[in-house]
Amino acid sequence: MSTLKHKGKGPQSLTANELREGLNVWLTAEFEWSRDYKMALQTEDEAVMEKMQAKGDADENDNLVVGVYFIDVEPDTGLPVRYREKFRVKGPSYDTADELGLKRAN
Amino acid sequence: MYRYDEFDHEIVQSRVKQFTAQVERRLDGRLTEAQFRPLRLMNGLYLQLHAYMLRVAVPYGTLSSKQMRQLAMIADKYDRGYGHITTRQNVQFNWPELTDVPHILQDLADVEMHGFQTSGNCIRNVTSDPYAGATAEEIEDPRPTAELLRQWSTLHPEFAFLPRKFKIAVVASKTDRAVIRAHDIGIEIVKNEAGETGYHVIVGGGLGRTPIIGQTLRAYLPREELLPYLEATLRVYNRYGRRDNKYKARIKILVTETGIEEFTKQVEEEYATLEPLDIAVSPEEVARITAYFADPDFETLPAHSDAYKAKLLDDKDFALWAENNLAEHKQDGYAIVNISLKPLDLAPGDITADQMRAVADLADEYSFSEIRTTHQQNIVLPHVKKSDLHALFEKLQKVKLAADNIGLITDIICCPGMDFCALATARSIPLSQAIAQRFADPVRQRAIGEMQIKISGCINACGHHHVGHIGILGLEKAGVEFYQVKLGGDASENAAVGQVTGPGFSQEELVDSIERLVDYYIDIREDGERFIDSFKRLGMAPFKEVLYAA
Ligand code: HEM
Ligand code: SF4
Repeated sequence: MSTLKHKGKGPQSLTANELREGLNVWLTAEFEWSRDYKMALQTEDEAVMEKMQAKGDADENDNLVVGVYFIDVEPDTGLPVRYREKFRVKGPSYDTADELGLKRAN
Repeated sequence: MYRYDEFDHEIVQSRVKQFTAQVERRLDGRLTEAQFRPLRLMNGLYLQLHAYMLRVAVPYGTLSSKQMRQLAMIADKYDRGYGHITTRQNVQFNWPELTDVPHILQDLADVEMHGFQTSGNCIRNVTSDPYAGATAEEIEDPRPTAELLRQWSTLHPEFAFLPRKFKIAVVASKTDRAVIRAHDIGIEIVKNEAGETGYHVIVGGGLGRTPIIGQTLRAYLPREELLPYLEATLRVYNRYGRRDNKYKARIKILVTETGIEEFTKQVEEEYATLEPLDIAVSPEEVARITAYFADPDFETLPAHSDAYKAKLLDDKDFALWAENNLAEHKQDGYAIVNISLKPLDLAPGDITADQMRAVADLADEYSFSEIRTTHQQNIVLPHVKKSDLHALFEKLQKVKLAADNIGLITDIICCPGMDFCALATARSIPLSQAIAQRFADPVRQRAIGEMQIKISGCINACGHHHVGHIGILGLEKAGVEFYQVKLGGDASENAAVGQVTGPGFSQEELVDSIERLVDYYIDIREDGERFIDSFKRLGMAPFKEVLYAA
């Protein structure tokens, strides 16, 4: 029996948040975490998913990321299926900081 | 104003130390996320859709200029240069990093602030009337009562693990500016027939997925009985409140399922077993707390200011602003000033660090250094001399804080929605902006008159949509946002939950539909009727028809 935690359908990507900065990240083909969804590894191969899960668990244990989970990916667009996940990819459609060109001071 | 005492000082300082150590242990792995999560939530730190979010408590919406300046510093140094005022009068930062949070908490502690009671199943930050201590309407300042409740509930061991979160609001005027009937407990300061001051206690209100208007638990409770009586109420809730189902765990469900009469009986029985004197605070202690909220040194002034009147005639923009954004002060020659955080082009409730500093400076110059946040996501300078109003207005204009739309259709309450919130089902900010743009014309806004639009991005109802004259709930189906509408809700002392109109709308459809609805109301309204009054007179049917007329 599969030990995978995901119950998704079709191609999958693995996502999490960085523990320190809190920002969204996705696991890349190099098995590193990227803030850029374009770099995300997408696969339907259960064996690869097992490895992704193991990497996610290990990095959660090593306090690099939190809240690791698989997301469904639309085969034709390559974007996440769920609306919420699309937002995690795109970032806020509105942010006062972007609107006014504000930034963190340091 | 409230001066944080020794007790708070020690707790807050030790909490910062504690949390600093907890973050360290989290970063080096001695704490797992499962262990750390409740600890961070206890300090107001959430993990949101894109990043961490820190919620800072603003007890009963009262801030000093010094605190506001510190919030500005934090926004600049650790966030992206702005903050957000919430419907619970608190301040949220959308982009802090975990490694910075201990520093932020220390910076907050330096000005006697923190994030306690902004999360979790405890008694949350107590909210109140933003006009407290200033309005001519009030029986007394409600903040000493709110503060008493804060001290009693802060870290109260018996109430740290309630079945669910617990929200209390206090007002002392007939006009309810704190939505007390949508709280777990709402307290109205009243006088009895003998002219003594006491409390009207309302229980079991709430929004969320099951909106309920609170009911009277006690029409008059003598002043000294407040804490023992609430303790009895919370004990009954602690005993019978449902812990098996998160969605049925709020006191509103218990009160509804038990029935208000039976619930009242249970509270009275519990109350009879208490030794009230063990819990009640002494009159000396009450006097000590009350003294913190003594009036500032008001000048003795005539009720009318000629300088002010001359400026009203002189400066049309000023006159328009004054018409909407001011409220009557209890002291002759003073006014309460509302600063709108609803410009047409920015998100409701957001304020930049520069604006925070400007507000702090203006509070120092014109309002005894006092500032308030409102559940409408605006800001109040409570004590401004009428003769200073014009100078204040000109300075507000310079920092783009002079929007003159308080209480009008563009003064929209709006939660962060899918743009920031991990629980959201749809966005709310872009819709609020589209509505604001559609009704941007200041003449038209005024012709429409008082109108409360409230938008939530999911059924948790943080944006108060259940009690909006027009309430809007964002939902999503198959990747497409749509919006369900409620009409006839009321957040005032005549609190009511709105009725759902029917099928949802896309954002574009909805803005057109609201415009039709508003035009229809203008057509049929009778003299002096607000939208909500016309709705109450005519009922849902005609409004529903125009809403779906396209
Ligand atoms: C971090 C993002 C937030 C989360 C996770 C969150 C979560 C929730 C949840 C789960 C509820 C429903 C409680 C229940 O029915 O038992 C709720 C209610 C509420 N929240 Fe939020 N919320 C968030 C942001 C906000 C914001 C930004 C505001 C103010 C603008 C706010 C103010 C409220 C209010 C007023 C209620 C309804 C009152 C009630 O408890 O009945 N929340 N929130
Ligand atoms: S109503 Fe929903 S979307 Fe809006 S802030 Fe609350 S939990 Fe988030």
